[in-house]
Amino acid sequence: MADVTNRPNEQNFRRPGGSVSRYSPALSLALVAPLMLLMSVGFLYPIGSLIKLSLFTPALDLTSYRKIIEQPIYLSVMARTFRIALFVTITSFMLGYPVALAMASLKRRLAAAAAAAVFIALWSPVLVRSYAWIVLLQRNGVANNVMTELGLIEAPLKLIYNEGAVIIAMTHVLLPFMVLPIFAALRSIPQEYVCAARSLGAGASTAFLRVTLPLSLPGVFAGCVMCFILALGFYITPALVGGPRTLIVATLIGQQATVLLDWPFAAALSTVLLITTLIMVLVFRKAFSRSKGFASVD
Amino acid sequence: MSQTFQEIIATTAVCLVALGPSAAVAEQIVVATTGGAYEKALREAWFDPFTAKTGIEVVTVAATNAEMRAKAAAMVKTGNVSWDLYLQGEIQAASEQHLLYAENLSAFCKEFSTHVDLDADACNAAGVRLLSNSTLLAYRSDAFAAAAPRTWADAWDVQKFPGGRSFPDFNDPWRVMAAALLADGVSPEKLFPLDIERALAKLEQIRPAVALWWKTGDQSMQGFRNGEYVVGQIWLTRAKALKSEGLPIAWSHAASFLVGDRIALIKNAPHRENALKLAEYWLNTPAAQAKVCEALSCKPPSGEAVKLMSPEARADMPSTTDPQSSPVIPDAKWINDNAALLLERWNAWIQQ
Repeated sequence: MADVTNRPNEQNFRRPGGSVSRYSPALSLALVAPLMLLMSVGFLYPIGSLIKLSLFTPALDLTSYRKIIEQPIYLSVMARTFRIALFVTITSFMLGYPVALAMASLKRRLAAAAAAAVFIALWSPVLVRSYAWIVLLQRNGVANNVMTELGLIEAPLKLIYNEGAVIIAMTHVLLPFMVLPIFAALRSIPQEYVCAARSLGAGASTAFLRVTLPLSLPGVFAGCVMCFILALGFYITPALVGGPRTLIVATLIGQQATVLLDWPFAAALSTVLLITTLIMVLVFRKAFSRSKGFASVD
Repeated sequence: MSQTFQEIIATTAVCLVALGPSAAVAEQIVVATTGGAYEKALREAWFDPFTAKTGIEVVTVAATNAEMRAKAAAMVKTGNVSWDLYLQGEIQAASEQHLLYAENLSAFCKEFSTHVDLDADACNAAGVRLLSNSTLLAYRSDAFAAAAPRTWADAWDVQKFPGGRSFPDFNDPWRVMAAALLADGVSPEKLFPLDIERALAKLEQIRPAVALWWKTGDQSMQGFRNGEYVVGQIWLTRAKALKSEGLPIAWSHAASFLVGDRIALIKNAPHRENALKLAEYWLNTPAAQAKVCEALSCKPPSGEAVKLMSPEARADMPSTTDPQSSPVIPDAKWINDNAALLLERWNAWIQQ
């Protein structure tokens, strides 16, 4: 009988939009109005002015966009930025999912300790975490010293100021953004589903692959999108641990905005980055929802 | 009852007296500087004595040069100006763009045009010269037993002077290209306009030896400390700081470029009159200039100030009199006209 009393909760989880049906449309609108106002003043208006700045100087002028297409460097830097963001998202997922899974299945106190470990990483400033990687990876840093002591290497390896260092440091910074949404999704999967699968003869791995993993996909999607978008705009970490070959779009935008004061061109680069990001997110979302038989990603 | 009333009156009077002077000190100037040791030197030798003399408080804001430029431009464009003075590199100060955001000081400079003690261009439309400095070839003197590297050609010679190299990569690539061209045999008089293709081809030769393309002054020092490289193009102030730490660092004025800073007055500055007083104080006080340059090993705009400096500090500062070791003076106009092109070509090359 206890199972029956649990049912309504699960249904709320399964059926998105359940809360909306309980409020009248007018009340819903009134509730979101303050946020909408804040977003339009603090977000939509600046984005609009940015796009306008990139197009009108003050007459319609597409020179900036033409330059982005004609000079190969801008597209190649754009491609590198997306590649780094993709690698960071993949490594964050591979490292983050097991952590989220462990957190979700741990007992109360241990789960709190694991969550604290993730949150502390989230709360320490990006600058500090980036400098910490410099200390670890530099020529006379901890990593090189340990490997030399152990006799694994003879001369110090070049671990910093390259793309690998950028990916490692960015993954570290972004990991909480991957772990927390996945954890939230895993936590809300009723334990009975896994029990049911196991009682019907599924092994632990089958139950995970066919029940837990598909049900956690909304969290995976949220985590991946957040990591990917944040990674695209990273500025400080690549500047500190990256080298000349890790030039990324944010650095180019910074150069144009502060060194050359060419704001229309900086705005054009930002607009191209924004639009490509939106397209990538839409494609990503389509791919995610198609790969599953049900609308797991809404 | 009346006792209490009197107390209140007395307390109020004391409060008013206490507020009085602070209300007078409310006169202030906001100056944007790059912070650190630079700002400390300016404050001790210039801002504090000025405040003591005039009662005008000098408030400083720290930012990088690029941030300052962008922020000054944004303030002027939006009409919301909160700074008065900001630092601007000599080269950027010579650009037409600079005068869109900085006030033309030609009228203010008239009174200084007859000062024979000051450099001829110590005060011009773009601003007031703070100091002159250089970017030069520095090296670990313990790395080379026999001859030490002296010219840019030596910096390129990894057979004769083995070891890692370091060059700057902070969005202002002309000095690296210029060094490459000098190393390739171009004479200093024919350096500008820079032959970008030739410079990049020469840089390609040294690329494998470059251990670090530094982005900040601190980075450029750190690599010398931990032995990542033994020859580098860095700022003289940083080389001097390393030497003061006790590191075996030496430098060659024969391979150096003259750079410097001006102090510019932002358009529609809220405390314009006071800011001009501060600028005037700088130009008229050789002692302040000497003290700043004693600390930063720079060349002050006043000849009198040079005389006040210690012989050691004079020996370290970039010379403009000795033809054998005088720094190359960059063609600011050409660099400004080609800034976007230079950066684009640099970006394309450096990330290959």
